[in-house]
Amino acid sequence: MSDQTSQSAPKSMFARAWDSDFAYNFRRTPVAVGSAFVVALLVLSAIFAPLIAPHNPFDPASLDLMNGFTAPMAANEFTGDVFWLGTDDQGRDVFSTILYGMRISLFVGFSAVLFAMVLGITLGLIAGYVGGWIETIIMRAADVQLTFPAILVAMLIFGVAKGITPIEHQDKMAIWVLILAIGLSDWVQFARVVRGATLVEKDKEYVQAARMIGRGKGIIMLRHILPNVLSPVLVIATISLALAIIAEATLSFLGVGAPPTQPSLGTLIRIGQGFLFSGEWWIILFPSVTLLSLALSVNLLGDWLRDALNPRLQ
Amino acid sequence: MKRALSILAVASAMGGPVLAEEFTWAGTTDPQTLDPHAVNSAPVLGFLNNVYEGLVRRGKDMSIEPALATSWEPIGNGKGWRFLLREGVTFHDGSSFDAEDVLFSYQRASNEGSDTRSWFSPVSDVKVVDAYTVDILTTAPNPIFPDSIANWMMVDKGWAEANESALPDKENGNYATLNANGTGAFMVSEREPGLRTELVPHAGWWGEVEHNITRAEFTPVQNPATAVAALLSGDVDMINPVPIQDAERLAGSGDVQVIRGIEARVIMLGMAQESDVLKYGDDEGKPNPFKDARVRAAVSHAVNVPAILKTIMRGNAEPASQLVSPAMRGYSNANADRPVFDQAKAKALLAEAGYPDGFSFGLKCPNNRYLNDEAVCQAVTSMLAQVGMVAQLDAMPVQNYWPELRADNYDMYLLGWSPGTFDAEHPIRFLASTPNKEKKLGSWNFAGYSNARIDALLPMIQSEIDATKRQDMLDEAAKIMQDETAYVPMYVQPLVWGTGKNISLTQRPDNFFILRWVSVN
Repeated sequence: MSDQTSQSAPKSMFARAWDSDFAYNFRRTPVAVGSAFVVALLVLSAIFAPLIAPHNPFDPASLDLMNGFTAPMAANEFTGDVFWLGTDDQGRDVFSTILYGMRISLFVGFSAVLFAMVLGITLGLIAGYVGGWIETIIMRAADVQLTFPAILVAMLIFGVAKGITPIEHQDKMAIWVLILAIGLSDWVQFARVVRGATLVEKDKEYVQAARMIGRGKGIIMLRHILPNVLSPVLVIATISLALAIIAEATLSFLGVGAPPTQPSLGTLIRIGQGFLFSGEWWIILFPSVTLLSLALSVNLLGDWLRDALNPRLQ
Repeated sequence: MKRALSILAVASAMGGPVLAEEFTWAGTTDPQTLDPHAVNSAPVLGFLNNVYEGLVRRGKDMSIEPALATSWEPIGNGKGWRFLLREGVTFHDGSSFDAEDVLFSYQRASNEGSDTRSWFSPVSDVKVVDAYTVDILTTAPNPIFPDSIANWMMVDKGWAEANESALPDKENGNYATLNANGTGAFMVSEREPGLRTELVPHAGWWGEVEHNITRAEFTPVQNPATAVAALLSGDVDMINPVPIQDAERLAGSGDVQVIRGIEARVIMLGMAQESDVLKYGDDEGKPNPFKDARVRAAVSHAVNVPAILKTIMRGNAEPASQLVSPAMRGYSNANADRPVFDQAKAKALLAEAGYPDGFSFGLKCPNNRYLNDEAVCQAVTSMLAQVGMVAQLDAMPVQNYWPELRADNYDMYLLGWSPGTFDAEHPIRFLASTPNKEKKLGSWNFAGYSNARIDALLPMIQSEIDATKRQDMLDEAAKIMQDETAYVPMYVQPLVWGTGKNISLTQRPDNFFILRWVSVN
């Protein structure tokens, strides 16, 4: 009896996913596996930074200035402490600071993309499905924004937001302002793709059928069209994530992003840049390598995703 | 076609005849204004010393020498000075300089809205005797008065009035903020605030020309690494400052030289002593602990100055115990020891003052004014946190920083002070006197430090002619400020300039860069 039950039972979700074409394709692409591994490693170590990091670089009371400028794996001449990847000018352990800095970079990156995605999908769906003057307004606004480089738009938004927040709250708000700025500079890609896909979908039979039985516009957009336009969005979102992480690093590098007491990867690179000439290479090298591997592997993953989801390439 | 054109343009730019001696230099701070009476800060006064001139000026060894006045003598039993003015001096616009301009510049510089007002606290009146003679009367005998006005620059009355700039406007600015018309060796030919300022020699200058510059350009470069790269690549001829961490490497390179000295500037922490409540941090709105001298003393023991000097300053700076450096006249040798770094003592003092668990507050800091200012503030933040004083650090560019301090938006702040007179009396007048607009005192005493004895000592120091008695009073003032921890002096800032090997110049300890001593070889 029991044998029969187990034979006829449906396969578990995991097993089904493992057998799918998608997963098969993934397993057969070494670049995808490699970059997914790097991304997972970095994301996990960022999430569990408080458990992994030997120091908490955000707690000023734990820093000892005499540890400043210790080279990697070398003992400090005053305190005798040893740090894997050395310390920066404030005596902060570079390894711990990278882990904590990556949390900010990833958090800002994910949140900004999520924000851009929600905004872009909403506007794209409305523009594509409703059409008319609403479409004209949304899409022309998108076109205008596209003519400016995204980083410039982000800086503009960041500057305006910083101008209207009172100075005493600026440090606390900096992260949210960054998310807002990067998100607002990035929604256009999503809106354009979703609008295009919606224009294709909206005259298909299933949508006509839904309209015929009297479903509302909102329901049709959300329940019928949206699921069918999501796969290109997923690809853009992945590539946008890499871009958002780089945008955050760029803004912080320029000194307008994360505050120096709570450094993100970009802030760390900015700090390290001041010591390039004087020979303290480790302060800039390790955060840069981390940023590079993070952005590169997310990008490679996005590339693979685009190919895998493109039916014409299969 | 387009590409061909641009290649051509580059080629002609590179191959064109190099016009005689052009000199470019870069610094971290752009002078906020070209108005010599609007802002009393070294980047402004140092830059404008090339454009404007005072009755007297400082030479290469910092000694006072004649400038627009040829000679001066005390009058009225020491209660005043008579200045004989140089004849035949013209402003850059061609108009001539005379006693009316001196009177006008006095009224302008000592006006309510002028940042240089404190310079004139000992002055009771200025009288024009004839076109080239001026009497400056003081309320009491003032032996060092001529030493104190080297940065009081002469503005042309007609020019200022014609351009609606009869009074300085440091908040909103006016014509004189962006334009200059002095008598100095150089005139401003182009000014783009924050980008570049171009100077050309003033053909009608009265003095003997030592430089060989035909055109000079100043560019503010905020990022120190960029400035170093520009110096190494020859894009600029001089940078001030050289980032301390790069000094060794630059000194060893073949094309540039590093010129070092000790600046007259003492870097200190100021603490709000007037405000009843804290303005920042988690304890915002709670009673202000810095009113208690024990808390201020705790700060002085919690800051590990030797560590700052060893790491951030890389051994290039000297610790400071008082508001002036040992090189200044009137330095108190009797009070040369600074509070030792002692966290246990700091904690004990805090507990005694009623803050056994510490408190949270706001620290304001410039990030482009002093050498490694932001790094020092970060280090101070972590050192104070170790004894329970948790600072919320807010670092900003200097153009936002001074307005914040003037608006009393801080609990603690970083300040550097270089006495314009090279005398210990100067910081007492500016930083330690109870702020008083009427008497033109304490104009940079943001902390609101106030001590009746110091206020009483100041006029006595100013008018004392006997050097020993004067020093005794300066010693007493230094001791009071140490006992009450009026400020926490940390270190004397080093001077590190970098130039190309083909440049010769003179480095003055007040960190003023004097263009007329530069020659390009």
